[in-house]
Amino acid sequence: MKPYNLLIVDDEKRFADMLAKRLTLRGCQCEVCYNGQQALDLVEQKDFFLILLDLHLPDIYGTDVLMRIKKMDSKTPVIIVTAHGTEKDRKKCIQQGAHAFVHKPLGIDELMEILARIEEMRS
Amino acid sequence: MIERIRKALGPIWPEFFHQDIKLLDPYMTFTDYRKIWTLGISVLIATALVPLLVVTIIHYRLLDKSVDSELRLRTERLASNAKRAITFFLEERLDALRFTVNEISYDRLTDPDHLEEILRNLKLGFGGLTDLSVIDRTGKQLAYAGPYNLEGRDYSNQRWFIECQQHNFYVSEIFRGYRHVPHIIIAAKSLREDGSFFFIRATLDTERLIRALQSYETGAHAHIFLVNRSGVIQTPAKQHGDIFQKMSLPVPVFSERTRVSIAKDDKGKTLIVGYAYIFTQIADTPFILMVIKHKAGMMQVWHQLRSNINWFVGSGAFVILAVIIITCTLLVNKLFHADKAKAEAMALMEQSNQLASIGQLAAGVAHEINNPLALINETAGYVKDLFVLKERYGHDDELIGYIDDILDAVERCGMITSQLLGFARKFEVKIQEVNLKEAISDVLVFHNKEASYRNIKVCVDVPEDMPPIKTDRAKLQQVLVNLVNNAFQALDDGCRLDIEASPAGNNKIRIAVSDNGCGIPEENLPKIFEPFFTTKKGSRGTGLGLAITYGLVKKLHGEITLKSKLDEGTTFTITLPTQIQEGSIENEGATGR
Repeated sequence: MKPYNLLIVDDEKRFADMLAKRLTLRGCQCEVCYNGQQALDLVEQKDFFLILLDLHLPDIYGTDVLMRIKKMDSKTPVIIVTAHGTEKDRKKCIQQGAHAFVHKPLGIDELMEILARIEEMRS
Repeated sequence: MIERIRKALGPIWPEFFHQDIKLLDPYMTFTDYRKIWTLGISVLIATALVPLLVVTIIHYRLLDKSVDSELRLRTERLASNAKRAITFFLEERLDALRFTVNEISYDRLTDPDHLEEILRNLKLGFGGLTDLSVIDRTGKQLAYAGPYNLEGRDYSNQRWFIECQQHNFYVSEIFRGYRHVPHIIIAAKSLREDGSFFFIRATLDTERLIRALQSYETGAHAHIFLVNRSGVIQTPAKQHGDIFQKMSLPVPVFSERTRVSIAKDDKGKTLIVGYAYIFTQIADTPFILMVIKHKAGMMQVWHQLRSNINWFVGSGAFVILAVIIITCTLLVNKLFHADKAKAEAMALMEQSNQLASIGQLAAGVAHEINNPLALINETAGYVKDLFVLKERYGHDDELIGYIDDILDAVERCGMITSQLLGFARKFEVKIQEVNLKEAISDVLVFHNKEASYRNIKVCVDVPEDMPPIKTDRAKLQQVLVNLVNNAFQALDDGCRLDIEASPAGNNKIRIAVSDNGCGIPEENLPKIFEPFFTTKKGSRGTGLGLAITYGLVKKLHGEITLKSKLDEGTTFTITLPTQIQEGSIENEGATGR
């Protein structure tokens, strides 16, 4: 498995950190940020293999962050991870190019499967 | 019986008389429809019928008055005419006597042969005279001409003789006298050249007088006769009394003119009495002319007319009243139905809003729980990772078992929150492929506990090859939830519930929900899908569950039917199309977030 370069964007700091730790244990390189603006700055600076994006961020709403990320770099897959997902949000995110829309609590195995599928698609 | 009347009356049956759905009361614009109805009818009667009745009464009074005064006038005119005739009759004969005594000498008058000749001439000229006699100042009859042998009679004590001495002329009442035949005496006093005086006296035939009077009688209701001043009847008076008897009416008050008064006869009937005291220019007379008319008889034509008018007004009023009542009932019924429909819609909407609010609340709770749940999940997961992936913590299977328990619990919590979110999403319309078996088992998740607690056996029979259908999953699930809830309420502990699905052909599927519970009485079957119909006492049922179910099935373009037998069980059968188009179901307006 390659060392995937992931970005985790979530205002629930402890959740984001814990997820980062678990993914690191599984050989990923994780960067964590807690608001939309930081995420946009990071995406501008670096390329990521995958971005995990929460919808309810304190500064910019997740769908807007998604839209801007997609403007900057349309290739990087974005997975929406949310505790507050409505059908309307799901539709909007998929329309804007989100790769997947998963609800919290999410299984780590489920996430690893998604990573593997993306890897397959890329190769 | 009531049902039969209700059918016969159709739309004019006053349904608003009994508004028995208490649940609707807070939503009704008006509460007392009977009052509105009564008020409407009263106002319409006041504006339509009262003027009609008032005008009729005024009209009657005016007509009564004018007919009355017309009757009086006619009576008065008749009395005047008859009075003139009587007066003329008497005056003419008094004049004849006066002429005779002035023209013919005393000697000739006292000569019986001459007197006979004079009588003959007078009879020829005037008629109505029976005999003629000449009486000297002492009252002794000097000469007589006529059919009776009365010569030599002494009249000195008689009233006519005394009165004629005083007043020169005299007219007597009608009396029988020596002759025993009704007659009138008229007499005149004449002065002789030597200063002495004598009397000439004539007897008048009453037949002629009576004929003259009767010629004025018109119709059966008018009677004309003479009475003397003491009220003794002088000429035939029919029912008012016999001749020479006192008349039944009181003697009228003296008046020089003809008068009319109102009196009652002995039977209490109203009489119009016209009367005139008769006096000639030559002499006073003892007669009073009476003209008596029966008011009722005279009014007969008017009464006939009045009864016709009464009939007409009565039937008119009845028609107006009927129209008023029918119109009022129709209008109030319409108003009531509109109000009731509005109240029902509002009650249903509130119910639906309530459900939506519960949905929103559930979604909120689920969302809030999801975040800490995710943290527990990741933390426990990380601990497990440490144990599994890092060598330094070693492989402690017992600890890993505990962590797995935590992770399992988190997964179960996650399922619950996702079901709660699913409940909230019932208000969003979404046409999707639905696997019936899954949909049914999702619904039963909510009932598993109750079923096992109450020992109710739930059997689901969906063929393995049943193709998925395209419909609104949330609405279908709500229909199933409602039917299962309904069945659970009807079931006793230890009974069974069957849910069967099968293809129904023609691009349709059939789902049957059967229970072997208490069943539904036959009389309630037609009302079972009506809103607010409930047999559950107290606050347990709103009567909306099956009504909402019915509405949802209709929205899914399906049909719902039921079969039930008391104490044997009930089967609800839903037939749904296998595919419905997106956009063919409207949203209810209430949505989750």
